[in-house]
Amino acid sequence: MPNAIRTYVRVIDRLSGYVGLVAMYLIFLMIGVLLLDAVTRNVIDIPLHWCIEFAQFTLAAYYFMGGAATLQNDSHVRMDLFYEGLSDKGKARMDVITIGCLIFYLVVLLIGSISSLEYAIDTGERRFSMWNPSMIPIKSLMVVCIALMLLQSISILFKNIAQLRGEPIT
Amino acid sequence: MTYEAIAILMFASMMVLLMTGQRVFGAIGFVASAGVLLLYGNGGIEVPFSQAFKLFNWFPMLTLPLFIFMGYILSESGIAEDLYRMLHVWCGRVRGGLAIGTIFLMVIISAMNGLSVAGMAIGATIALPEMLRRGYDKILITGVVQGGSSLGILVPPSVVMVLYGMIARQPVSQLWLAGVLPGLLMAVMFVVYVWARCKANPDLAPTVSEAELNMPMSEKLKLLRAGILPFLIFFLMTGLFVMGFTSLVESSAVGASAATLAALVKRRLTWRVLHETAKKTLNISCMFLWLILAALAFGAVFDGLGAVRAIESLFITRWELSPWTIIIMMQVSFIVMGMFLDDTAMLVIVAPLYVPLVKLLDLGFDGTLIWFGVLYTMTCQIAYITPPFGYNLFLMRSLAPSEIRLVDIYKSIWPFVLMMAATIALVMLFPGLALWLPQAVSVR
Repeated sequence: MPNAIRTYVRVIDRLSGYVGLVAMYLIFLMIGVLLLDAVTRNVIDIPLHWCIEFAQFTLAAYYFMGGAATLQNDSHVRMDLFYEGLSDKGKARMDVITIGCLIFYLVVLLIGSISSLEYAIDTGERRFSMWNPSMIPIKSLMVVCIALMLLQSISILFKNIAQLRGEPIT
Repeated sequence: MTYEAIAILMFASMMVLLMTGQRVFGAIGFVASAGVLLLYGNGGIEVPFSQAFKLFNWFPMLTLPLFIFMGYILSESGIAEDLYRMLHVWCGRVRGGLAIGTIFLMVIISAMNGLSVAGMAIGATIALPEMLRRGYDKILITGVVQGGSSLGILVPPSVVMVLYGMIARQPVSQLWLAGVLPGLLMAVMFVVYVWARCKANPDLAPTVSEAELNMPMSEKLKLLRAGILPFLIFFLMTGLFVMGFTSLVESSAVGASAATLAALVKRRLTWRVLHETAKKTLNISCMFLWLILAALAFGAVFDGLGAVRAIESLFITRWELSPWTIIIMMQVSFIVMGMFLDDTAMLVIVAPLYVPLVKLLDLGFDGTLIWFGVLYTMTCQIAYITPPFGYNLFLMRSLAPSEIRLVDIYKSIWPFVLMMAATIALVMLFPGLALWLPQAVSVR
């Protein structure tokens, strides 16, 4: 495989890994903010209405940011009825064809997210609640994460092709 | 093309794509996006993305990563080893005592966590080797661990019911309460079965030697201390929730922290454990959440097609099926599909079709959707452990000692599948088994 592709794969894989690492630790942020809510309401009697909502935002960031990393480490469930029986090369061959589906879905998500972000910026969209936060930050994050997932799927495609050509990129 | 034809085409192409072994969320997401573009043109392009905000607004989903985190921490914490030693001494004299103790252990773990993975990991790594060493029949005990750990999704808290609640728009607390009695009933059946088998054929379960059990009462009582931590976790999590101090999602955060503290008290908590747990939690949570996101898009398109009305007219008007026949057909289709599909995938694909239909059926009692949720969860349990594809089967194979082969695992589960089916039948005959507790609590 050309060096440019090897570099691409290395850079994207590393980037997905870093973003995933940040996502990983968001679980502690979710636990923390929910505990804070439970404690302040029951112990010092100050209800914090933004906590649950903040945790919801964190959850969205959590799985969007983890998306690329989990694609890379192949954590997503597959139906392995026939797939399991294939050789490594057979799996790679099958994936080269079917990853097109994943890429198509991600492209549709990306277009949808960009148009949704444009709407949020144009109208200054805010979430309808007591806290009333702006939707622009989370939507921007989602756009970036979907783009990264797309780049990661292409990196997986390159790796599969490399394997079929008998010169795997590790 | 008629709408029916599009619906059938979408369903068929999804099945074919799933067979190729591509990531399930990619396959479902592709069919959904292609469908929405075919139907509505470019106007529909935002539909798949906008599901992210449908998911966002369903805040009970927050419990999902928290319970997954808690499950992993619990199995690392060493609580289970202590509990098992306690149950071992206290149940040792009964025929098949260790196997029965294992079932009790599974029920306790189930009451602390919402997935079957935690029970599975604990059963396969702690209980199984111990029972094998004592010459218990490996097929019997493999079944015990398989069946017992699947209680994790029926006994509250339950993640499967959180997912069902999202799709059926039912309160999670009511669903959880509805799972209590059927779960205990199932556990009792398991215990009676093991006891009867061992009574009839003592070779299956050699008794523990007197020397080992002969300890002073004070020692025996000391062992009971192993129950303190699990009880505290259970109380902090479920107790505070039922008493109204914490909300559903807060209680899952309390549970996750309590389990972490318990691991700290037991001196099992290291940075490495915390890091590994966070990593595993991210992997599993992302898998679930992306799958749900894709399936929501699929459901939205399917809804737009009026697929529900088509099935409704087929079942009710054209075939003139009675409500009960329809419910039974749904259960059977769940079990058949469960053999091939992951349970979350199954839920998100089928529930949008079935749930509106169940709501329409007149079965002669209230709370049908809560009741159906319990039935669904039990069919999931069966799906988990039935060949050729059960999550638990493969998990078991990778966790259990090597002398337990896949064939043994396959052989071991049938009695447990039958008992689960019997519980389903009982809950269908007596809906009160599921509905009495949630109704009693909501009345108060």
